[in-house]
Parts: sequence; C-alpha cells; structure tokens
Amino acid sequence: MPPARLNITYSGRKGPIFGLALKTGILTVLTLGIYRFWAKTRLRRYYWSAIRPGGIPLEYAGEPLEKLLGFLVAVVFLAFYIGVVNLILMYFSFALLNGNVAAYVLSFAGLAPIIFFAQYRARRYILARTRWRGIRFGLEPGAWGYAWRAMLHWLLAIATIGLLWPLTTLWLEKYKVSHTYYGDQIFVQGGRRGLLFGSMKHIYYPLGLSAVVLATGVWSSNPAWFAMIMLTGPWFVYGLAYWRADSFKRMTEEKELGPMRFRADPSAWTVVGIYALGWFLINLVFSGFALFMMVPATIILGSVGPDLANFEQFEAMLAAAAPLLIFAYFAIFLGYRAMAHAWITLPIAAHFAETTRILNAEDLHQIAQRDRDEFAEAEGFAEALDVGAAI
Amino acid sequence: MTGAAAQTETFADLVAGDRAVLTRVGVRITPDGVQLMLPDGRPALWHWADLRRLPDQADSTVLVLGRVGDRVGRLYLRDADLQTQIRARAPRLSKRDRVMPLSRLFVWAGGAVASVAVIIFLLVPVMAAQLAVMLPAEGEKALGDVTFEQIRVALDETGLLGVPICEGRQGNAAMRAMYDRLNPTPDLPYDVRIHVLDHDMINAFALPGGRIVFFRGLIDQAENAEEIAAVLAHEIGHVVNRDPTRDALRSAGSLGVLGLLFGDFAGGTIALFLANQLINASYSQTAEATADVYAHAMLDRADVSPAALGAMFERLLEEHGDADGIVAHFMSHPKMAKRIAAAQAAVVDGRDYGAILDDDQWESLQTVCDDEGGGE
Repeated sequence: MPPARLNITYSGRKGPIFGLALKTGILTVLTLGIYRFWAKTRLRRYYWSAIRPGGIPLEYAGEPLEKLLGFLVAVVFLAFYIGVVNLILMYFSFALLNGNVAAYVLSFAGLAPIIFFAQYRARRYILARTRWRGIRFGLEPGAWGYAWRAMLHWLLAIATIGLLWPLTTLWLEKYKVSHTYYGDQIFVQGGRRGLLFGSMKHIYYPLGLSAVVLATGVWSSNPAWFAMIMLTGPWFVYGLAYWRADSFKRMTEEKELGPMRFRADPSAWTVVGIYALGWFLINLVFSGFALFMMVPATIILGSVGPDLANFEQFEAMLAAAAPLLIFAYFAIFLGYRAMAHAWITLPIAAHFAETTRILNAEDLHQIAQRDRDEFAEAEGFAEALDVGAAI
Repeated sequence: MTGAAAQTETFADLVAGDRAVLTRVGVRITPDGVQLMLPDGRPALWHWADLRRLPDQADSTVLVLGRVGDRVGRLYLRDADLQTQIRARAPRLSKRDRVMPLSRLFVWAGGAVASVAVIIFLLVPVMAAQLAVMLPAEGEKALGDVTFEQIRVALDETGLLGVPICEGRQGNAAMRAMYDRLNPTPDLPYDVRIHVLDHDMINAFALPGGRIVFFRGLIDQAENAEEIAAVLAHEIGHVVNRDPTRDALRSAGSLGVLGLLFGDFAGGTIALFLANQLINASYSQTAEATADVYAHAMLDRADVSPAALGAMFERLLEEHGDADGIVAHFMSHPKMAKRIAAAQAAVVDGRDYGAILDDDQWESLQTVCDDEGGGE
C-alpha cells in the first residue's frame, strides 16, 4: 500500500537539458525543420521523467513518427482552410477596409476556433501519452465543446479588458480537468467563481495605482507624479509571477482525483528570481559573444584598412562575411533556446514540482489501466498552427 | 562472474500496467535474460533480446527498462552493478521499435503534398484571378501602398529605412511627360504613380493600384529615353491587365500555406521569402505577351518605335550574358528572343518615329537620383 502522502521530487539538471536542447535544435535547423518532431519528443521525455511523484518518474510515451503523421493529416485539411480563407479575407479587407491590418485581425479571428480546437486535441494527445506507475492519463473527446466555450470566455475577458481573466481561466480549467482521467479515475476541478480573483490582486493594484497616478499627473501637470510609474512597473512584473504561482496553488488545491487531494506552495518571489537570474545570465552570455565576435571583425577591418569612403569594398566585405553572419544568426537562435531551457523552463518546472504534494494516496493501487487512445492525428493541428505546448 | 551475479539478488521496482501498483521484485541475471521474482513467488523472465531502455531520462542513476510486446510494463533499476551487466548483455537495449508502418506515413505525406499542390497551383490562382477583377480601385491602391513600403524596406541592406526614392524634380517631371505622351488614362480607373528608387538593380515592376517602380540601375543601362518609355509602356500594360493585383492576392494565399508546411523553425524565414516573392513576381507568359502587345500599340500611338523594347532587351542580353544574375527580372521573363522579334515586328515599315523626350529632359531623367531636388 502506498503511503498516504506523496512528495514530488525533481531530477532534471541544467547541463543535460542544455545539451539536449542544443543538439536537437541544431539537428532541426540542419533538417529544415523535419527533426522538430524528434526534438520535441526527446525534450518531453526528459522533462516528464524529471518529475517523480513518490519517487517514480512520469513517462512520456509519444512517438516522433506519429507526430509527423499527425502533422501531415493536419496539413491536408488546414492547407485548404488557410489558403482559401487567407485569400478571401485579404480581398475583403482591401475591398472594404483599404488596409491589411484588418486582414490580420480577421484572419486571426477566423483561426481562433481552430486554435482552441487544436489546443484541446494536443492536450488529449499529450495526456494519452503520459503515464505514471504504468497507468495512462487520458482526456475525453470534446474539442469543439472546448472551442466554442473558449471563444465565449475569451470574448468576455477581452470585453472587460482582462478584468475577468481569472474567471475565464477557471472555467476553461474546469472544462479541461473534468474531462481528464488517470487510469479509470476521473479528475474533478472544484472552486467557486471567485476563486482566482485574489491571485490577480498584484496585477489589479499596480494597474489601478498607475491609472490614479497618471490621472493626477495630467490634472496637476506635475511631472513628479509620472515617476511613480517606476514603482508600479516592477510591482506589475511581480504581479505576473504572483498570478502564476498563486493561481496554480488555488486551482491545484481544488483538484480531486477520487479520494486524493493536492497541496501546492510555489513562491512568486522564486518565480521572479528564476526569471531575473535566467535573463541576466543569458544577457551576460550574449554580451560576451558580441565582444568575442568584435575581435575578428576588428582584425579584418584593420588589415584591409578602414577605407570607409569606398562603398563597393564595404559591400564586398559584407558578401564575404555572409556565411559568418548566417552562422552567428543560428548560433544566437539555438543558443538562446538552449539557455532558456536550462535557466528558465527547467528551474520553473522544478520549483512547481517540488512544492506540490499528493495527499490521501492510500487507495492509489486500486486505480486500473485505461485503454490506449490511438489518436492518429496526434497534435498535428497544434503543431501546424504552432500553438502547441511550450515544450 | 556470471555465476556470482546469478546468486546475488538485487531488487527493483516493477509496474505491470494493469493497476497503479508498484511492486518490489527481486532481480536475477540468468543466461536467457533478466529473471524477476514476484512477491507471490512466481518468476517472470524478460529475455535479453526483448529488453529496451527508455531514452532521454532525467535521472541517470535509474535505468528504466521496457520490453518488446509490452507497451506499459516498466522496471526501475537502481543498482549500478546490475545496470552495468544489463547494458553489457542486452543486445538491442537502445533499439527503437517502429510504432507504425511506414506505408501509412507515405500515404499521408503524398496526400499532404497533393493537397498543397492543388491549392497553390490551381485553387488559389483561379480565385486570385477572379477576385483581382472584382477588387475596387481604392482597395487596389491600399494594397499597392502596403506592398511598396514592404519592398523598399526589404531591399535596403540596413533593413531600417527603406531604399530612398529619387527626388530630382526635373527628372520626375520628365518621367511624367513621358507618361503623358503615352496617355493610357482612358484604360485606367486610377492615376498611375511612377517612382524611381535609388538602387543598382536593373529592373522595373508594377504594383497593384497603379504604382510603377523603376530602379536607377535600369535608367543607367538605357541608351535613350525611348527604351525607358518602352519599359514604362510594358509596365502600364501590366497595370491595365491587373497582373500585380492578381499576383499579390495569389501570394497571400499560397504563402500562408507554405508557412504552415515549413513551420517557422528559425523565425523570420517566411518574411524573407515573402519579400523575395514580391520582388521577383513573375507573371505567366500570356500575361507578359499581353502586356507587350498593349505596349506596342501604345508606343505606336505616341509615335515611339516599338523596337525600343527589343533593343533594350538585346543589349542587356549581350552585356550580361544569360538569364540569371543582376538582370533578374527582365531576363527571367520567358522566351526573350520571341519577345524581341515581336517588338521588331510591331514596327511599321518605312515610318519615321519621333523622340519621346528632348535632350534636356532625358539628361534630367538620367540624373534623377543625383540631386536632392530641393524637395527633401
């Protein structure tokens, strides 16, 4: 019988994830993007296996080939939609509105239901390929039901300039979680409507204060008031981290899996700290890289002679340096990706995992296996539209 | 050594996959494979050839094993000594078993390629052709304005400001005079705007909504004003036939599809492609021929020899060799020889053609990019 309380340990490390992200990134570029299905699978295997509730790692059992197949399936359908719809929207935006900003907005609005549909299907695929203790997770079909609800709730949130975002988040989480299974046991997302408003307080406060300060500043025409923005800006940033940590805590603690309950205590300051340190280190590396690149550039310029008036020569040099510039471009792109994995994504995942616990797990052994969800399309729509999970 | 290992028993965690149960099992190395001693005393044998290791695991101290034919059963081994022995003896530990027949993948890959091809080469061009004719003049102008700015920025090597427009007042007036002589106004729903861009490219093109763009490179290459007039007439032909509008709509449709297919794996690649596509917009042979025929008639009415168009092409061919390189746009037009011949055939025998500009005007057109025109 398992113990009543299961802690989650985290075994991911920065070095290996940096190496894995860099290696798979290079292969993705070299294969013109085809390797991305393998890259994503391998990164997920690593991230999943790092999370160990009760000491047993999660397993990601997705396969690159099924992702590739799902992507091809999605392309067959989406190519028609995107080709024809884009064209018609472009026509109407210029015919009626004389500008293509409108086309982008309309085109996005036309895509929105498909994006939500794709996100739900991607979640279904990912859960179907996630296991713990040999038991599969699963998400019941219901992508169109999710899509129209998401459209409605997003409209509500947009109409209230984001003030109702906590409600949107909770409603959509409820829909997703109450369709989620672990083996034969369904999840329940509890929580009353007001649950998440408290998590937004450090976003509401600085926004409110900024509005008051700006209004006073304009009214009294004393620029000193505008300096208060220096205070509300960082407060707002803290508010974003607080929202992330506190909304996770509140929603997790209202989740139920049979008799099992969950506790979570992520800290907003830790989240801020991880991002601050991560970005600082990434900037440090790129500054170093820039200095390093200056050396050969200066040497070349110095040896040729700084004949800046000769424009032709300058162009010739640019042409000669083109391969170097392309290399630098990809080095920056891939390096940034790998460093973001090592210094931001992984530490954040570690913090949220380690601060979460499972309670009342005594009857865990009674949970039985669920059937495999074949789901040939995998996360093809989300992949094609580039709206899939971050990893 | 094998004998010694067979006697020592170590433990591992097993999940069988029917219930969320973690079972502590004894593990023994045998000549046939790994033998698991289940709590109820039953032994289970995992054969060496069937053993598979889960790749990319975060915790390198644990070896996670699965086996062929069992999708969910897993064995979590901590013992380092046991791990070493298994790694040495299991022959296909790192093999990845294929989860689906490749034929299925090929069928869908074929389907994807076919559907994309039908959409890009059939559906989108047909629709673009229909919609281009229906687009109101104001809409076409807006489309042209957006495209013009995109091209200026795309061609500027600094990528910031856009290639400068040549402001020489007299030069632009000369261009205008040339346009007025050709007088295509009855055929057009809008006024044509002509720009010279300060760029080396030997090229000129038309944009939706009656914008015509010359590059300085083309004016430098011309030997007389009539050659420029001939190119202008050709581009006006495109504007009258709405070729640029059709092309812009077509690329809007097909680029979305291409972006879908390739994914933005390195960011910004699609944007680059877009700019390239806009500049090297190539029309069908029929569209080029129609524009040529229109140009011949217009030149004839303006008392300029239609042969000027052919003369320019011919000299560019001689000077710059074959179709590629800097003479990109014009030279990539198909059937160049045929077009030169057609231009010469349009000349009426024995007729004496006039000049389109006087010498002063032609000189100011050639120097349109030199001075700031006082208008900056």
